[in-house]
Amino acid sequence: MGRVRLRAVAVGIFVVLAVAGCGGDQDALHAASSQQSSIVELFWVMFGAGCVGGGLVVALLFVGWLRRERAGLTGRGGDDRAATRLVVILGVAVPIVLLSLLFVWADIFVVRSTAAPVPGSTQLTVRVIAHQWWWEVRYPGTTAVTANEMHLPIDTRVDVIGTSADVIHSLWIPELNGKVELIPGITNRILLDARTAGVYRGQCSEFCGVQHAHMAIAVVAESPARFRAWLANMARPAVPPSTPEQQAGLRVFLSEPCASCHTIAGTSARGEVGPNLTHLATRATLAALTIPNTPAYLRGWIADPQAVKPGALMPSVPLTARQLDELVAYLDHLR
Amino acid sequence: MAVAAPPRSELERLERVWLPRPGILGWLTTVDHKRIGLLYLAATSVFFCAGGVEALIMRTQLAEPNERLVGPSTYDELFTTHAVTMIFLFVIPMSTGAFGNYLVPLMIGARDMAFPRLNALSFWLFVGSGCFIYTGLFMGAGPNAGWFDYVPLALRQYDPGPGVDFYALGLIFNGLSSLGAATNFIVTIFKLRAPGMSLNRMPLFCFANLAASLALVIALPPLTVDLVFLELERKLGFQFFNYARGGLPLLWQNLFWIFGHPEVYIIVLPAFGIATSIIPTFAQRRMLAFPLVALAELLVAFIGFGVWAHHMFATGLPTTTLVFFAAASMMVVIPSTIQVFAWTLTVVSGRPVFKAPLLFMGGFIVFFVIGGLSGIMFTAIPFDQAATDTYFVVAHLHFVIFGAAVFPLLGGLYYWFPKVTGRMYHERWAVASFWLTAVGTFTTFFPMHIVGLLGMTRRVYTYEAGLGWGIYNLIETVGGFILASGVLLIASNLLWSLRRGEPCGRDPFFGGTLEWTIPSPPPHYNFAVIPRVTSAYPNWDRADREIDERRLDRDEPSLPDGHRTPSSTVRDGLPDEVLAMPSESPWPVLVALCVSAIFALLLTSHYDAAGVAACFAGLMVVGWHADEPEDATGGEGLLSAGGVASSRSSPERHARANGWWGMAIFAASETALIGSIVGSYFYLRFNTSHWPPPDTPKPTLLAPLVLTAVLATTIVPFRAALGSARRGERGRALTLVGLATCIQAAYLGVQIHLFTGDLTRFTPQQSAYASVYYVLLGAAHAHVAIGLLFDLWLLVRLSSRLTPYRLIALDAICFYWTVVVAITVVVLITELSPRI
Repeated sequence: MGRVRLRAVAVGIFVVLAVAGCGGDQDALHAASSQQSSIVELFWVMFGAGCVGGGLVVALLFVGWLRRERAGLTGRGGDDRAATRLVVILGVAVPIVLLSLLFVWADIFVVRSTAAPVPGSTQLTVRVIAHQWWWEVRYPGTTAVTANEMHLPIDTRVDVIGTSADVIHSLWIPELNGKVELIPGITNRILLDARTAGVYRGQCSEFCGVQHAHMAIAVVAESPARFRAWLANMARPAVPPSTPEQQAGLRVFLSEPCASCHTIAGTSARGEVGPNLTHLATRATLAALTIPNTPAYLRGWIADPQAVKPGALMPSVPLTARQLDELVAYLDHLR
Repeated sequence: MAVAAPPRSELERLERVWLPRPGILGWLTTVDHKRIGLLYLAATSVFFCAGGVEALIMRTQLAEPNERLVGPSTYDELFTTHAVTMIFLFVIPMSTGAFGNYLVPLMIGARDMAFPRLNALSFWLFVGSGCFIYTGLFMGAGPNAGWFDYVPLALRQYDPGPGVDFYALGLIFNGLSSLGAATNFIVTIFKLRAPGMSLNRMPLFCFANLAASLALVIALPPLTVDLVFLELERKLGFQFFNYARGGLPLLWQNLFWIFGHPEVYIIVLPAFGIATSIIPTFAQRRMLAFPLVALAELLVAFIGFGVWAHHMFATGLPTTTLVFFAAASMMVVIPSTIQVFAWTLTVVSGRPVFKAPLLFMGGFIVFFVIGGLSGIMFTAIPFDQAATDTYFVVAHLHFVIFGAAVFPLLGGLYYWFPKVTGRMYHERWAVASFWLTAVGTFTTFFPMHIVGLLGMTRRVYTYEAGLGWGIYNLIETVGGFILASGVLLIASNLLWSLRRGEPCGRDPFFGGTLEWTIPSPPPHYNFAVIPRVTSAYPNWDRADREIDERRLDRDEPSLPDGHRTPSSTVRDGLPDEVLAMPSESPWPVLVALCVSAIFALLLTSHYDAAGVAACFAGLMVVGWHADEPEDATGGEGLLSAGGVASSRSSPERHARANGWWGMAIFAASETALIGSIVGSYFYLRFNTSHWPPPDTPKPTLLAPLVLTAVLATTIVPFRAALGSARRGERGRALTLVGLATCIQAAYLGVQIHLFTGDLTRFTPQQSAYASVYYVLLGAAHAHVAIGLLFDLWLLVRLSSRLTPYRLIALDAICFYWTVVVAITVVVLITELSPRI
């Protein structure tokens, strides 16, 4: 238990720092997978070719400017055959060749490497259900359920199967692969395969309502051993309260409306509306990466969710200061 | 009041007959394309400012991370309304309604558009739709689900307020305006060209507007169907998009983008037309590869219908589908690259004069190329899946819309300002305004490419610090204000020059097209003498212009009696007939008022009252048609007027009448409408396992088959009536039309009985099958009902006199019924398909 806690704290600090200060977490040009590397490569080649093509047009316009109001030319256009041939070469022939090359490279070859895997062909499957405005993450074959955070072993092809519980959302981890829309009634799949350990930030990429801007997800890629330990911990029921204050907190949780929306495995709280809180204290942030997961922020979030995330579907439950302290003590204990 | 003195010359006679009604009433009832163009210019400028203010508020909110200038709900209304305003209330109405309306008749040598009152109606409907949408915004209930308004977010369950209803009903309303305008452009460009202006001598500006209008006729109905589905689901509980009842959220996206992609070409094509007008003038040479450019403009519109799913590459479509649409999207690049190099090499191979309008064209070409290149990047599917729905797309779309559609408009404002006002704008100020606008555009939109690749997604009201996005957003905001100042500088230059600009003559820039042959500002009748046209750049043909000038000197204006303009054949521009044009009419603005009332009542769910308003609108339309044009004279009037030999010696009608063309275009749009519903039917069907669902009875076979056959037979009496009418047998024609009408009315009566009977057995709210079943049948029956209204009009008219106008109407209505029968057969096959 102690090791799990230390690890969780370490990851927590790392994530908080990464989210709050380091930058570069959601940078699509900073590839952390072979899929994203091919995409980045595609981009730079297209960008280079675009610079050449665009440069040519700008150069031609510049030549036009150099020829401004030059003497001698009259007749409103003479023998245009050479110029028309140039239009056809530059406007038809060259684009056809370049576009065909791009088509074969991107839409026949690269698309196969970034495409979703054949079902059942990967070592690991993760299920994501998008909600307004949080991510439910499940690991089929286990009882592990978490929210707004996904752990993956590195160098492993992972089949992420996604859908939505309400409106259309879109799962995008820029440093790992393209995005995939999560549509109610349909399951879509995306391949994630992180090369290096780290925390990769993702964000909902389909306008999904008033708090679309605050619906991010942290994908933590770690060594297979760490991952297995994390997953095993996630599958366990919640840590029972160990102090009287925490016990009081659990009582508050069960008697107030909290339990009607949230599940804490091992207690009688079985709500399915909001995120699963069984291992809340292992997460680095709250409210889908909106605020850090510290006791002070947690207290503020529970007391008034609308101040943090106006429009969020979590209601403000009137609690006394004492009840809040107890609740936070209990929730902060859930590693 | 004394009797006016008799006119002293033929020219004065012409002037008097074309004098507009004075005062505000004159503007409210105007049908003059020039006045309507200026009305559009004023209205769209106001909407441009509104959209611009919305943009600046958003940019200020985003200048720094975690800003609190506006909250998320307000921000969501801002970005939705910004896009809706800029696309539907600014760029398209300004380029087609203002520029197109003002200039197309002038460029083809006509005295007005083909349907002047319809033109006015389009304007007032446009104003009404804009006010409708903004009423929602000002009430704090503006549209808030994005301009593409994806479901399920836009359904009542997730967006219960009236914002989405303002959006959906407002856009249906706006679409009526666009459809009328498109019809007008197509028929005007086909039929009203000066004799001698064959299609290959028509200005590229007209080709561009023609292509955009043709595309609009087919592209708009899928949107209308989508919006109607949405409102039926929101207001009446239909089930098109609810997967729990067999519906599909992706149905919305497919229909939307089938409209949405052609829409972007509709946005940009008229701007291409402006560019292809300005560039030859200032390059002082003909456009290079003219036929290739004209073809490219038409091809862009056509191929643009086959690429829509590239907006849906991240929705989980099968790889084969993705690859097909990527290939099609690459194909549509080619007509644009042709045009880019044609424009650029025209400048290079000419003797360019870099006045302000040409500078704006330079900016247009550069920004269009940037936007086009980022667009090409999206055809690489894996890259699209990374960059879609990020600020990279926002960059792309603003470069192509602002760069490729708005820059030509700004340049065009300068270019044609002397023609419209008779005064020159201030050149140096204009050049400064170009640079300010160009720098502002680049600064605002280029960093969006970068910040999008750094992971910033679209439609976010704020963002976290520490992701590296802040600096780019700040630069973009500064750029936005620079851009706004550039636009303000343009506006102030034009407003100042209105009073203080140097007076200029009719042709300050030596342009090649016909608008430069007439005085600045143009006289009310446009052309005293309908010009003789023998090339694509008639103002550069001195010999032809001298012939026209001599006719004017001899006081021989064209058609000085009454309010007339000639029409010609579609392909070769041979003289056809003389058209009597209406003058001021109150009906367009009255009909638009009734239509506004209909939409307001639909929004507030007062369906009965909306029906009453619709009846009022119908009465207004009846009043409108009580006033028929005077009988057209034959082509012999033209032979002396135009001085161009026609290939015929007799004045018989040769080409299809304008009214028939108008009906044909209406029929094409209705076909696209029914086609969209049929397409939706099969899309839903092939994605559902039980069709119809277990609790719904299968459709009956016999009654629909028999009824359709009966309807089909009414074509026979109609065609016979047409034959009789052509031979002058009014009574016989009346009887045959009456017979057809009775059968059609009986058909509709039985169908309505069956429809209501079906409703007792299963309701549309039960399933997607039921919803699409009832909408498809309802649409088919509605078209029969409209046909019956046409029949009624025809019966009333034929019971008095048979005139050439009424003969054209009979021809058109007969064609309409043929299309309706075809539609009914297709609907029948669709509805019965579960039984096949």
